[in-house]
Amino acid sequence: MERAEGRKANQLRKYSCTRNPLGRAHGSARWEQGGTAVVAAVYGPRPGTRKGENPEKASIEVVWKPMTGQSGRQEKEYEMTLKRTLQSICLLTVHPNTTTSVILQVMSDDGSLLPCAINASCAALAFAGIPLKHLAVAIGCGVLENGDVILDTSKAEEKQLKSFAHLVFPNSSKSVDLKESQQKDGQSERGLITSITHGVMSEEDYFNCIERGLAASSRISDFMRTTLQKHTPDYL
Amino acid sequence: MMDQRWRPTVNEREFIEHALQSDLRIDGRRPFDFRKLKIAFGREDGSAEVELGETRVMGYVTAQLVQPYKDRPNEGTLAIFTEFSPMADPAFEPGRPGEAAIELGRVIDRGLRESRAVDMESLCVVAGKHVWSVRVDLHILDNGGNLIDAANIAALAALCTFRRPECTVGGDDGQQVTVHDPEVRDPLPLAIHHLPIAVTFAYFGDGNIMVLDPTYKEEAVMGGRMTATINSNGDVCSIQKAGGEGVTSSVIMQCLRIASVKAADITSKIKSNVDEYTTEKAVRKVKRTPVLVAKKNDVPDITMESNDGALESQTSKTPNDAQDTSKDPPAKPNDKRHEDAKSRLSESNLDVESMPNSGIAGESDEAKESVSPKSLKDAVKPKHKRKKKQHGKS
Repeated sequence: MERAEGRKANQLRKYSCTRNPLGRAHGSARWEQGGTAVVAAVYGPRPGTRKGENPEKASIEVVWKPMTGQSGRQEKEYEMTLKRTLQSICLLTVHPNTTTSVILQVMSDDGSLLPCAINASCAALAFAGIPLKHLAVAIGCGVLENGDVILDTSKAEEKQLKSFAHLVFPNSSKSVDLKESQQKDGQSERGLITSITHGVMSEEDYFNCIERGLAASSRISDFMRTTLQKHTPDYL
Repeated sequence: MMDQRWRPTVNEREFIEHALQSDLRIDGRRPFDFRKLKIAFGREDGSAEVELGETRVMGYVTAQLVQPYKDRPNEGTLAIFTEFSPMADPAFEPGRPGEAAIELGRVIDRGLRESRAVDMESLCVVAGKHVWSVRVDLHILDNGGNLIDAANIAALAALCTFRRPECTVGGDDGQQVTVHDPEVRDPLPLAIHHLPIAVTFAYFGDGNIMVLDPTYKEEAVMGGRMTATINSNGDVCSIQKAGGEGVTSSVIMQCLRIASVKAADITSKIKSNVDEYTTEKAVRKVKRTPVLVAKKNDVPDITMESNDGALESQTSKTPNDAQDTSKDPPAKPNDKRHEDAKSRLSESNLDVESMPNSGIAGESDEAKESVSPKSLKDAVKPKHKRKKKQHGKS
């Protein structure tokens, strides 16, 4: 299958991350992947937890705002996915009985919206200084008819494909630059944090997706690392 | 949860008021200066992002075919939806819009609808059956004060760049409506007669000190507010003054005079930004296919660089608190490749190879590139059947 603009199967779209575009929010990030752009804002930690949340831990609240229309079931599903994903990367015991709010606004949607949003929220949390165990790096993978896996699906591709998956991995511990670490990475256990699939795919296809996604996530996590390191003051 | 609204301290309040008595504002502006206005457009038609100082608003316009109202069978409809996102201000709660959100929506709605800025009759397709219903969604991203003016500009900019699909009426009974795909027939712009610009004044003291375009700190301290919606012809489209300090009519007249000058200013800014965007878009459409050929030849060169080059092709922008947009040095190799920033080609050559047997990423990149000339030709055999590809760039 020919991808738009001659993209190869393993090629990601151009992505960029803008640090703290918003003035009022404690931390914010604008993450763009090709034509998809999401702005995430973080307020927190704020005192008090909602009813029903465990007061011994910090809680995360997610609000997802679509581009147009009312918030419906799809948005609620995104909110739940994000909340669970972010809960697993935050150190919840550092600030017990607090709430951290993550608000997302979809600026434009050209496929891989959920991965873009997860990357944006993770970056926003880091910029806000919320304590994290590790970063969450998300990637969208699609499965073609012949079993090939394509990365970073666009909207048109998602419509045509019979199945695709959104996968979230923790960031890699070593940089991909060092050639020796390439083998090490493959062997170390890096568990999948979140996986949302659409459509029907065979087990083998799914494992292929995970493998490809893992490799792609190394690239993105390296990019996140350079972005975050760029702004740490020298004395740290 | 506690009320999260920012409240000024007594010192801040006094400082702001005293400074205003000497015509000084806390951000260094003069009383009748607007903050810096920036309008950016999104990928899609009808999406605009406005920055007025620290305030950021995004406007997004969509349209769909609906049945018209019974009492206006040959007019389309225009609806404004504003949601104060909790992203903009910790005081905004998600869920039902508060009174400030509703007031903002109503002011903008009155300015557009009752002044007949957008031509409703041109939105009629089949009288009594099918009309276009235009919906404007305004998302407040950052509350730096004066949301009404910023949101109004966002709505106008989005309406100016919005394109609705072309549709034809046909069929046996002349009632069948076919909506054409934007790829097949160019979508049409809305007919906009004039641009009503909202200009907000804040009153302090006994109603004798007024400033234009208040920041959120000034809004927390002000005695009252008045919004005048004026177009560049000097027509007053709407005035909103809901309570607050009483103001003499001479002061109001002075405000209206100032507002009309500022409105002309802002109108020209919006128009120039919109024109720039539309010409850039038109140029991009023409250049799209031929550039595909030229660009692809560069790809082997780029991947031959060190892996650093490939990685650094991601831009990480930082419009920081320091308010300077610094582009990182690694982005420079990009600028070269980006002469046509318009063509959203995969400048990021992130060939991610996960097959363990094909070895290390660097090698596999090169291996892929040697295969690419064959696939390049396939990619270039464009499905774009536009005649425009004949008019290639040199």
